[in-house]
Amino acid sequence: MAGLAAAPGANDAQNYRRAPGLFAWLVLAPLLAWLVLFVVAPTVMLVAVSFAERDALGRIVWIFTTENYVRAFDWLWLKVLLVSVWYAFLTTVICMAVGYPVAYTIGRAPPRWRSLLLMLVMVPFWTSFLIRTYAWITILSKEGLVNSMLLNAGFISQPVALLYTPFAIVLGLVYNFLPFMILPIYTSVEKLDNAMIEAAYDLGAGPLRAFSQVIIPLTRPGIAAGAMLVFVPSIAMFAITTLMGGGTNPTIGEVIFKQFTSGRNQPFGAALGTLLLLIFILALWLTRKHREENA
Amino acid sequence: MKTKTTTLLSALAALAVAGCGKAPETAPAENTTQPQAPAAAAESKQLSIYCWSEYIPQSVIDEFAARTGIKVSVENYASNEEMLAKLGAGGGNYDIIQPSEYVVEALVKENLLHPIDHSKIPNLKNLSPQFLNLPFDPGNKFSVPFMAGTVGIVWNTELITGDIKGFSDVFKPENKDKIVVLDDAREIVSWALLSQGIPVNDVSDGNLEKARGVLANWLPLVKVYDSDSPKTALLNGDVAIGVVWGGEGAILLNEDKKFRWAVPAEGTHLFIDSLAIPKDAKNVANAEAFMNFILQPEISKQISDAFPYTNPNLEARKLLTAEQLANPASFPTDEEIAKMETFKDVGAQSSKIDELVTSLKVQ
Repeated sequence: MAGLAAAPGANDAQNYRRAPGLFAWLVLAPLLAWLVLFVVAPTVMLVAVSFAERDALGRIVWIFTTENYVRAFDWLWLKVLLVSVWYAFLTTVICMAVGYPVAYTIGRAPPRWRSLLLMLVMVPFWTSFLIRTYAWITILSKEGLVNSMLLNAGFISQPVALLYTPFAIVLGLVYNFLPFMILPIYTSVEKLDNAMIEAAYDLGAGPLRAFSQVIIPLTRPGIAAGAMLVFVPSIAMFAITTLMGGGTNPTIGEVIFKQFTSGRNQPFGAALGTLLLLIFILALWLTRKHREENA
Repeated sequence: MKTKTTTLLSALAALAVAGCGKAPETAPAENTTQPQAPAAAAESKQLSIYCWSEYIPQSVIDEFAARTGIKVSVENYASNEEMLAKLGAGGGNYDIIQPSEYVVEALVKENLLHPIDHSKIPNLKNLSPQFLNLPFDPGNKFSVPFMAGTVGIVWNTELITGDIKGFSDVFKPENKDKIVVLDDAREIVSWALLSQGIPVNDVSDGNLEKARGVLANWLPLVKVYDSDSPKTALLNGDVAIGVVWGGEGAILLNEDKKFRWAVPAEGTHLFIDSLAIPKDAKNVANAEAFMNFILQPEISKQISDAFPYTNPNLEARKLLTAEQLANPASFPTDEEIAKMETFKDVGAQSSKIDELVTSLKVQ
């Protein structure tokens, strides 16, 4: 928001152009109110609660303590965090590998096909993600679709455990977050300048070289945005990991959820939440710094 | 199923009539056990219920609304602690909540409940004395039992051979990856305590360490943690044996003869979920009317039909089929109940219990 204020030392003409007038503020007001109400205020509350204590019923007691943070740095919770980061990383990589070709194909398809193909990507969003997750449970269970097909085809003689495994967790995450990878990459691919690719070929690059040195760098903003949109929510997701993973190998989202419910320890949950937030801020800051150095 | 649909339809019809006629006060004429209806009419015609999900059938709520003309709003929670958090934060203006026994105890201790006027709830006489006047609320000054239940072992005889008597038969190396248990740290720790002959409410740090020793061997064998619907993994064949709520076990036994039920030999947890009125409730008379309503035998029977837990209502039990009453997961024998313990509030120890179970899951 500091950027909205006029830079000191700028001349009057610039000042006039850069400082938003009353009308601009009025237009911005709903957005600012939204940000304050739903981003700033909850974050301040989260941080405040993380330094508080709680009574036997789990009610917050406003006595300052740093104990929640001391406890949060226990190896146990760090291990939980590492497991969550690992699942989120796997999810992001698989989404990228699967999503890029899809996004590229859609982006390079004839325009009249594009909207139809894009709609197909969005169709699953029309049902609640919980319902889609429950659907996976019926597909993957021992008496489910996959196992009965494999049994009938004679590939296996005993049902295989697919559900309630790390495989199921990653599958569930990839399935739910794949569109978040496809859409931003698609936007980048759609804007690809054909002349650039032709130029690469004219200058003697093979398809592989053209792809790795021209197409990938040109679509990098889409890849970066997609990676962020998949990675960040995957870390904190707890519904899919609990339902499809069976609750063994708890993830950080699940642990935080438990603090707010059965653990009766909102301040500790808030401390874990604040740490997770700090990790995201750090990651974003590092990527931005890296990008600026490269530019 | 058919009868349920009919009641629902008639309830809806009654609702429609009441809505059109704008004379709902005349509706409860047929209902002689509701002398409090005029009192309820005197104050606002609203009732706000905050209850467990999947516990009070919608048909029962609709019928109450139709008979009394009271507008009922319902919100659900999935754990006692979720409810406590909301109540503690001063959120929601609820007239009825549905806490378990140890939560009633805590709420009474914190002076957060409104005393109940027994003269407004004549149907209390229908309840079995077994579930009344218990240590968590002597004299039932603040709570009316809704359903009771237990935690026990259910197994699939096609996948598990041999007799199952207690927790030690469940948590055996040969059952690795075949077990579902409730995703509830307090429950899990109580089983470990019972296996060591320690009472479930004796959760001192020393006893928790003993429980840790037991659970370090048990929990790596578990395939699924699920409190909401542990029957799903058993029905799908993903696991073969489970430690689950009695109501879930009862549904499995009804579903398929291959399932068997046992009350753990080591002892187990008897839970009693009650209805209570928060201290700052606005519609106390309506709340008491609702309590009296669900204690009517035919209404209480409807609840049992939908959610087969242990019905404390003796008059309602007379309306249940022999098959329903014979379901060992719904109705444990008196000797079995005598060996069960109810939970007491353990306050801040609940955080340690939670951490203990989480740490063993992570390994």
